[in-house]
Amino acid sequence: MKDLLKAEVLKFRGWALGCVAVQLVVLGFLTRVVDLAQQPDLVYQVFALAYGALGLLLGLYQMGGYRRPNTWLNLLHRPLAPWNIATALVGAGALLLAIGILLPPLVVAGWQEWMTPRVVDTRHLLLIASGWMIATCAYLAGCFLMLSDRRTGFCAGVFLCLFAASEATGLGAILLQLLALAWLLAMVLVAFKPDLTAAPRGIARTVVVAAPLQVAMWLVLVMVGFGVEFVWIAQGSHPNNLEVPQAGGEKEVENAEGKDVMRMGLRDSRDPQAPLWREQAAISEIFELSPSFRTVPARGQLTNLAPMEFDDQERHIRWVFSHDTMRFEGYSLVDRRPAGSLGVAGDAPFPAPVMPGPDNMLFDRGTVYQYDQDSGVVLPRAKLPAGERLAGIGEAGDDVAVLSDRALYFYDARELENDDGVLVPRQRVPLPGAIGDLQRVDAMELLDGWLLSFAFVRSSYNAEGALPFQEIVRVDATGKVQTVARRDVSHDYTDTWRYQNWFPSPVVYTVQKAAKTAFADGMTPLRKQAPPVPRAIQVLVGVLMLLSLVVAVWRTRKTSLSTPARIAWVVTCGVVSLPALMALWLLYPERETVDDTDFVAQPATA
Amino acid sequence: MTAETIMQSNDYVIETHQLSKRYGRKLALDHLDLRVPRGRIHAVVGANGAGKSTLFRILLGFLPPTAGTASILGRDSQRLTPEDRGRIGFVNEEHTLPGWMRVSAVTEMHRRMYPRWNEQAFHSVLGHYHVLPEQKIAQLSRGERAGFNLAVALAQGPELLVLDEPTLGLDVVAKRAFLESLMYSNAADDCTVIYCSHQMEEIERVADNLIILERGRLMHMSAPDDFCARVTHWVADIPFKGPDPQSVPGLLQLQRLDGLHHYLVLDQDDDFAEFLRASGARSVQSMPVSLDRAVNGFLAKNHAAPTPAPAQGAHA
Repeated sequence: MKDLLKAEVLKFRGWALGCVAVQLVVLGFLTRVVDLAQQPDLVYQVFALAYGALGLLLGLYQMGGYRRPNTWLNLLHRPLAPWNIATALVGAGALLLAIGILLPPLVVAGWQEWMTPRVVDTRHLLLIASGWMIATCAYLAGCFLMLSDRRTGFCAGVFLCLFAASEATGLGAILLQLLALAWLLAMVLVAFKPDLTAAPRGIARTVVVAAPLQVAMWLVLVMVGFGVEFVWIAQGSHPNNLEVPQAGGEKEVENAEGKDVMRMGLRDSRDPQAPLWREQAAISEIFELSPSFRTVPARGQLTNLAPMEFDDQERHIRWVFSHDTMRFEGYSLVDRRPAGSLGVAGDAPFPAPVMPGPDNMLFDRGTVYQYDQDSGVVLPRAKLPAGERLAGIGEAGDDVAVLSDRALYFYDARELENDDGVLVPRQRVPLPGAIGDLQRVDAMELLDGWLLSFAFVRSSYNAEGALPFQEIVRVDATGKVQTVARRDVSHDYTDTWRYQNWFPSPVVYTVQKAAKTAFADGMTPLRKQAPPVPRAIQVLVGVLMLLSLVVAVWRTRKTSLSTPARIAWVVTCGVVSLPALMALWLLYPERETVDDTDFVAQPATA
Repeated sequence: MTAETIMQSNDYVIETHQLSKRYGRKLALDHLDLRVPRGRIHAVVGANGAGKSTLFRILLGFLPPTAGTASILGRDSQRLTPEDRGRIGFVNEEHTLPGWMRVSAVTEMHRRMYPRWNEQAFHSVLGHYHVLPEQKIAQLSRGERAGFNLAVALAQGPELLVLDEPTLGLDVVAKRAFLESLMYSNAADDCTVIYCSHQMEEIERVADNLIILERGRLMHMSAPDDFCARVTHWVADIPFKGPDPQSVPGLLQLQRLDGLHHYLVLDQDDDFAEFLRASGARSVQSMPVSLDRAVNGFLAKNHAAPTPAPAQGAHA
């Protein structure tokens, strides 16, 4: 095995060294120009895409070179078990990627750590490792794609899709990638056999391939939905593309101006002051707020939602947040020398990573801080109650509105500017719905408080969002809250459309959702409140499951599956529904027979 | 399995029973029953598409059969273990070797992989070629690569060695060197060799047993000389049209050259002369044929031909 591994590394050493050279040049140049450790998420996604593409190409090329019948025979016809040979080849691929992808960023990170005052945290090293793992997973996906039957090889791509959609953060992201890598490796080992066309044998091998294949089939159905939507948009009647949104619908609320949102919400209100408010809305300034902090920084997060740094313009110091020390580490912009560290009220570590905002504000998941330019100190100015998480912040007249995942708070903006203590909110308005469903908050200042419109229409176009509604709430100067109107917003989409990703397979839908949010930890998405599934959709699900089961009974009779395997697949199709049926169709072609050949070469007459 | 059965199955290196393989609507192997005994050199010949490569891919477990069974060295071909593969050598026309590696490195790799590695056999074959250990495989000529591949295959000490068109694309000198290194290697004496080729002059030199496959079926198996003895070439001077080819017994090929009828026939004795005379031949002469002519005539008889295009009718 070692000989094979060495031979493969030798084969691609030129490519690996070339990759090292290119990366050192590119990264070396970039790190002289910008701080690579403090880039927004998009930059790292581009790197991940590039590394993934490299890995995928390596897998396709390496296994493609062995895929030809004679070459494959020559590779596997030797006194070594196929898994042994596979491990050698794949090990070589992983090693080459480690040289080509892991090494150069580590060199650059080392230079940045020891030769510059910039912050290099443990999470940055984990990020580099993550880049290698993404490349290796893409490499394994390429190997599987090349070795498998062309009807099923693409299913390895579900793991790459998972990386793109995953909410996992920090060590959780690393763990998720490790799990994906292990599964992909298992898939490659299953595919690596003399007869490449044979379906996997045994329960474990079948599950290793069939599970991602079923998820892939579900994704195909999702893509079909995209295709239908594309045609719908082109056809011109898609709700998102109507010049004038449907009256009373979700899009109308999303796109309307604040004053119109207020008037729509107050239309059927029975509050005696409603007519006055409707008139006032036409002429008052309406302040709009939305849950713009869909996620907040988490400790050990591999990437950055936004660069975690801010500049003290007077002192010409750049402060960069370090997850390792939980403080800002500063360096002079003039001479690049270290300028000390900055914690809470002096040198105390921050309880959570903070993100710089406008006007010298800093935010973590539960606290708003302010950097006092004069004293050069960071002070907490607003603290959310334990268990609440920051979701948005904005100006509302002479107040500052802070949105948490439970409530809306109003703070006096003058106190924020003039004092330096922790502010007490003037009003607290509990949210009438789940924060994840909240699209917008519109605030109209009254003589003695606020009139607030909460529009919960954010995710009502799919199965995860609450049924859309709008609620108008009045809060007075004492903080007393009163609902003055509530109206149901009509759907722009039918139930079938909303549940299009759910009804083909509730099981796969649940599994992919769990995978996407696994290890999300501090970056769990904002909570939504999905309604009960409509009865008609439940019936549709039942019909599809039954249909899948019946078709599976018919289909498995035409294959070479053993009786226990047939039963297992029939049950799976009944439970998992359409994706399982599609996977069954792809994995097990009809049994070949000898008798139904009707082409026979006619002998030439002498 | 009884001792007798074990003994019997050990007598055959390859056994197939009603082996069939279908590609779409075409049968590449058609209920093939083949038993190749242990020992000696067996030549497998057949036209393109006869099923030779398909047969070996199934025997080595790289293709599943559509029906029937196949075993190699007494083992089910679909369940070969690494140890089984260590007993079977395989060389094909591509001589697939890692071009980026040196001869010495490839040799060392195989030396470690095969516990029965025979250094003497390796050098006895490689000695026919001017191959240096420090050369990269990609730097070898096609003939040198073939020779090196054969040396490595024989040095593995296989019980069965399959050579699938190993001299394809080699020049005359390289072919000769290859055949001689195969024929004069002691390692080849110790194993059963299956040699697939279209080159009858090679078959004549090396084969002890001739196996003819045609359209996935076994058409003939015997010593080459015995097959040649079945085929005769008859030359007849028939002044007019001659007998209808459909009525000629055992006809393989019919040609008219310089007014003479040339018949290549199978399994015909002196009675065929009587048949020709009865058909109007003024003189009849028979002669033996070469293996090349015999096999080509035998295979050409069953080649498919396109349906002739209908004659263009004259316009009214």
